[in-house]
Amino acid sequence: MHWVAGGFVFRRVESPFHKLDPRTKLLISLEFFAISLLAFAIIQVAIVLASVLFVAVYAKSLKRIGRTILMSAGFAGFIFAINLLFGVGLVSSLLYALRFLAIVSSTSIFFVTTSPDELEHTMKWLGVPRDIVFAFVTAVRFIPVIMLDAFQIMDAQKSRGLELEKGNFVKRIRNMVPILVPLVVNSVVRSGELAEAMESRAYGATPKPTSLYKLRLSRKDKSVMLVSLLFFAAVLYIYLRVKVPV
Amino acid sequence: MGSLVHIEKLSFRYLESKQWTLSEIELEVKEGEIIILAGPSGCGKSTLLRCMNGLIPHMYPGDYQGSVTIDGIQVREEPMGILAQKVGLLFQNPENQIFMFSVERDIAFGPENLALPRQEIRSRVDETMRLLGIEPLAQRAPHELSDGQKQRVALAGVIAMRPKLVILDEPTSLLDPKTASELVSLIQDLNTRLGITFVVVEHRLDLLTKLATRMVVMNEGRKVLDGKPSEVLSNERVGAYGIVVPSATRLYSELAKEGVKLARVPLAPSELTEQLRRIRR
Repeated sequence: MHWVAGGFVFRRVESPFHKLDPRTKLLISLEFFAISLLAFAIIQVAIVLASVLFVAVYAKSLKRIGRTILMSAGFAGFIFAINLLFGVGLVSSLLYALRFLAIVSSTSIFFVTTSPDELEHTMKWLGVPRDIVFAFVTAVRFIPVIMLDAFQIMDAQKSRGLELEKGNFVKRIRNMVPILVPLVVNSVVRSGELAEAMESRAYGATPKPTSLYKLRLSRKDKSVMLVSLLFFAAVLYIYLRVKVPV
Repeated sequence: MGSLVHIEKLSFRYLESKQWTLSEIELEVKEGEIIILAGPSGCGKSTLLRCMNGLIPHMYPGDYQGSVTIDGIQVREEPMGILAQKVGLLFQNPENQIFMFSVERDIAFGPENLALPRQEIRSRVDETMRLLGIEPLAQRAPHELSDGQKQRVALAGVIAMRPKLVILDEPTSLLDPKTASELVSLIQDLNTRLGITFVVVEHRLDLLTKLATRMVVMNEGRKVLDGKPSEVLSNERVGAYGIVVPSATRLYSELAKEGVKLARVPLAPSELTEQLRRIRR
């Protein structure tokens, strides 16, 4: 079951796209996001989806982004069904479902190709207060640790006779209590130790801490940003001016 | 050598606790010493460590009497940011002391908090990694490290603050014997090369007694024994405080009861063999 924890762990991939400044990736992601939100024809959404997949291939992350799309496909199906049920036309329902997929995949471009480290720098750059950035950093940092903790507790409780997979829905949820209680207690203890270690290493000693790394836009970043902005403008122009059958 | 730590009549009671966790502790630590702090669980070792690095009274309030002076500054008066550059504390579980996503960034955590210029942080990080032999791990994420490596990285984070005193709270408790003995050699190395003073809470005495200059035993919040490891370990009372005496030293005491008196108290089997060989001659 350790693969579950693996899904939350960032994997470093060597690709030209990964090497871009996180702000460039954020811009591209946001542009895709806006384009998918504004798309009003199936063909447009299909083009957005195809472009996202193209970027994914370029970033050597097709598998991960593909998995995200597959995982959200169920929800897209739900959107389609609900719309259809409430009398929205077949084509429009399909459009909404596809649009949802396009939005999910365009945001995942940023999150799949950006390391938590870069994400932290981006948050700082956006002016998010340091305590919030640090809370986010530790939360992401400890996801795999707490997951493994949970598996260990599950094994321990199972070996003492707890049957997790037995009973009806309500029973199964109640079965999780003996897992959750020690997990929460463990995490509280852990957070206490974390606080001690942070204090001991001068966290909060100065109002403006410095940083080992600083985000720097390379020439490549600037050109990629420029090209993407031009494309974005062109797409907006097409949206406004060119009539496409829905 | 000058005095680095001066503890005078220190008593401490946690907030809303009736019992004093520490009572009238007197302790003097000289620069360059390696001190083993031992005693049964709940004897106040961890509280004493926290008094030395300032977590008490800055993070944990309570009744605080007496004084702790580190390198000429009063722990009670100075903020944690200043104290962190004098005293480093390595906790038992390295996992909870690594905050960042890469080893390098984590070592930079302390210097970043001190708002040091970027070049200074860089040089401290590089130097610390070289000293601890963890340069190849620079870009690794915490979950990609073994327990021994995590311990080293956590120690690196402490060393990067350039403290004069490093306190280790049961540093080998989660390590296998080989990694534990590597850590002990590292302590010795940092002590001789950088002159860092160490206070180590440790149960695996066989590893540390060889390099320790002193051993302090605590019981029920008081300091009960203080002296050279050989003196403390050959004291009859030591067993009563739940301290496992290394077998070579135990054999020495047994032999003494039988009337065989050795010249020195051995701490390791090799020393004992050496002395027995001398008697045979």
